[in-house]
Amino acid sequence: MNKLHFKVGLFAAASLLLAGAFVVYLLHARGFFEETFHLQLAASSADGVAPGVPVVFSGIEIGRVTTLGLNEEGGIIIHATFFKRNAKWLKENSTFTLDKPIVGGAKIRVDSPDLDAPALPDDATVLLLTSDISKELPALVERVKAVLDNVEHLTRKDGEITATLANLQTVTGRMTGEYGMLEGILGSPEKARAVTDSLDGIRALVGRLDSLALKVDGMAVKTDQWLFAPAGVAEQTHEALAQIRLMLNDAQSSLEKADAMMTNAVAISADVKEGTQDIATLRAEVDDAVSKANALVNKINKMWPFASEPEVKLP
Amino acid sequence: MARVALDLPLRANLSALENIALIPLYQRHYDAAESTRQAQAMLDQLDHAGIALLRDPDMTPAQRFVTKLARALILKRPRLVIDRPGAMLYDVPYPAFIGKLAARADMTGTWEIYDFNWNQVLYNQALDSE
Amino acid sequence: MNFLAASIESLGAKVVGWFTVGYAMFAFLAKASLLLLDRTTWNRATFDVVVKQVYFTAVQILPVFLGYALVISWLIITIILSTARDFGLTAFASEMTIRVLVLELLPFLTALFVALRSGSAINTEVALMQVNNELDALAHCKVPPMQFEFLPRLIGGVVSVVILAGLAGLLALLLGYLSIYGVSTAGFEPYTQTIAKIFDFKIMAGLIVKCALFGLAVTLIPVTAGLETPKKLFMVPVSVLRGMMRVFFAIVTIEVVSLALKYI
Repeated sequence: MNKLHFKVGLFAAASLLLAGAFVVYLLHARGFFEETFHLQLAASSADGVAPGVPVVFSGIEIGRVTTLGLNEEGGIIIHATFFKRNAKWLKENSTFTLDKPIVGGAKIRVDSPDLDAPALPDDATVLLLTSDISKELPALVERVKAVLDNVEHLTRKDGEITATLANLQTVTGRMTGEYGMLEGILGSPEKARAVTDSLDGIRALVGRLDSLALKVDGMAVKTDQWLFAPAGVAEQTHEALAQIRLMLNDAQSSLEKADAMMTNAVAISADVKEGTQDIATLRAEVDDAVSKANALVNKINKMWPFASEPEVKLP
Repeated sequence: MARVALDLPLRANLSALENIALIPLYQRHYDAAESTRQAQAMLDQLDHAGIALLRDPDMTPAQRFVTKLARALILKRPRLVIDRPGAMLYDVPYPAFIGKLAARADMTGTWEIYDFNWNQVLYNQALDSE
Repeated sequence: MNFLAASIESLGAKVVGWFTVGYAMFAFLAKASLLLLDRTTWNRATFDVVVKQVYFTAVQILPVFLGYALVISWLIITIILSTARDFGLTAFASEMTIRVLVLELLPFLTALFVALRSGSAINTEVALMQVNNELDALAHCKVPPMQFEFLPRLIGGVVSVVILAGLAGLLALLLGYLSIYGVSTAGFEPYTQTIAKIFDFKIMAGLIVKCALFGLAVTLIPVTAGLETPKKLFMVPVSVLRGMMRVFFAIVTIEVVSLALKYI
C-alpha cells in the first residue's frame, strides 16, 4: 500500500465529504428542499424596501421580500416568500409593519397578537403599515419640549406659580402659629404639613423639569448626529425614550400632586380675600399642563409598547 | 540518436528507476507499473539492479553513468553516442567499463564514443587486454 | 536633456520587461490549458504526479495550516464580537465575521501560506532544473516537461488552495457559531439564516474562482519565473526573489479586483 496515496486519498475524500455536506446544508439554508408560502403586501410607499429585506416575527427572520412593483392603480405590491413551516405564524389578524431603524437595514415586522386566530391563506394580500422611528422621533421631541416649555412658563421665577406661592406665603404668614390658620382650617398639624410639603414638591418639580428640558434639548440636537453615528443608536434611542417616559411619569405625578395641593389651597383660601384670584388662574393652568402631560405619556406608551415588544438578543 | 553526456543530467529528485521509467511512461504511454518493469529490466541487463532506488546525488559517477546509459538505451534509437565518457567516468578505467556494459546490453544499433584523441591510448589498452 | 532621454529609455525598458514577463506567463498558461484538452495528458502518470503535488502542497501542511487558521479565526472573531457588543451591533456580528473571514481573509492567507511554502519551493526547483540542464535532458529524451513537471504543479496548486481555503472557511464558520452561541443548538436557525443570506450562488462561484486564481498565481508565476532564469547558479536566488515579488503582487491584485467586483 502506498502511504502517500492513502493520505492524499483520505484528504480528498474528507474534503469532498465536507464540501458535499456544506452544499447540502447551504441548499437547506436557502430553502431548496422546502415548500414556500407567498404573501402580497400592499403599501403606500416602498421606501427602503428592496428584494431581500427580511420579514421578522418576534425578532426571528421567517421570510423575505422577493419582488416589488406597482399595480394597475399605482399602489405598491410587495411579494414576500416564507417557508411553509413558518407560515403558521401568519394569522388573519397579524399586523405587518415596515420598520426602518436609524441604523441597519429595513425589515418588515409581523405581530400576531392572537396565535389561535385562523391562518392566512397562501397568496393573500395584506396591508403594510409604516413605523419610521427616524421620522417620528424629532416630532416627539418637539412635543415633549412644548409641554415642558409650558410647565416651565408656569413655574418661571416671576411667573404665576412663584407669585402665587409668594401670595400664599403672605396669606399663611398672616395666620398665627406654626401652621397658623391652615392648622385651624384643616384641623391638625399633620394635614397642614401635607400642604406645605406639596409646595416643596412643586419647587422640586421645577428643578427636575428644568434639567429634563435641558436633556431633551440636547437630544434634539443629537438626533441628526445619531443618524450617522457609528454607535448602537437603536438601543440608545430605546433608552432615551424610556427615560423620557419615566420623566414624564414623574412630571405627571408631580403635577397631580400640585393639582391636589391647588384644590386644597383653593379651599383654604376661600375665606382669604387676597390671592384667591391668582390661585384660580394658576389652578386652570396647572390643570391644562396635567392633561397635556397625560395625553403625551399615553401617546408615547401607545407608540412604543415597551413592555409588549419582545426582542431576541444575542448573548 | 541517443546521447549520453555530462550536460544531460538526470532529474535530481527522482530515483534511477523513475528516471528511466519516464521514457516508456511519457513516450509510449505505458502505465506506471509496466514502465517501471521495463526500466528495472534494463538495469538488470546492465548488471546494476541495486541502484534502482538511488537518487542522483547518492550515486557514484559509475552508477550515474549506468543510469544515463540505461535511459539512452530505453529510447531504442538506432545510434548511441557517448560524449566524452572521461568527464563522467572519472572513478573507473572507463574504456573497459564501457566495453563490459556494451557486451551485456542487447541492442541493435551502433555505439559511438566521442573522446579527446589524447585518450586514444586508453582504449587501445582496453582492447589489448581483452 | 540627456537625463530626460535616459529616464524615458529606462521607463521603456521596464514596460517592455513587464510585457515580456506577462506575455511569457500567459503563453505558458495557454500552452498548459491546451494540454489539459489533450487526451494523452490524462494518463495515470500525470495523475500520480498531481497526487504527489497535492500531498506536498496540502496534506503535508494540513495540521499546521489548520492550527494557524484556528488561531487567526479565533482572534478575528473575538475582536469583531467584542467590538460589535461595545457598539450594540451584535445582530451584525455573525454576518461580519463570515464576510471578513470566510470570504476574504482566509482565502488570502491561504494563498500567502501556499505561496511562501510551495511557491518558493517550486520557483527554486524550476530554476535549478533550468540551470542544471535537466530540462534540456528531458527534452533530449522527448519527455514533455510541461506534462510531467509543470501542469501537475499548476493543478496541484489550484486544488490545494481551493481545498485549504474551503477547510479553513468551514472551520471559521464552526468557530464563529461556537463563539456567538456557545455549545448549544439554539443559534442554529438564525446562523443558518445568516449563512443563507450571504452565500448565494454568485458569492459561492466568486469564492471558488478567486481561490482557483490564487492557486494558479502561486504556482504559475514561480514556474515561469524559474524558467526565465539564466543558466548561472548565482541567478537562482534572484529568480526566486523576482518570482515571489510577482506572486505577492498577483495575490493582492486578485484580492483587490474581487473586492471591487463584489462591493462596488
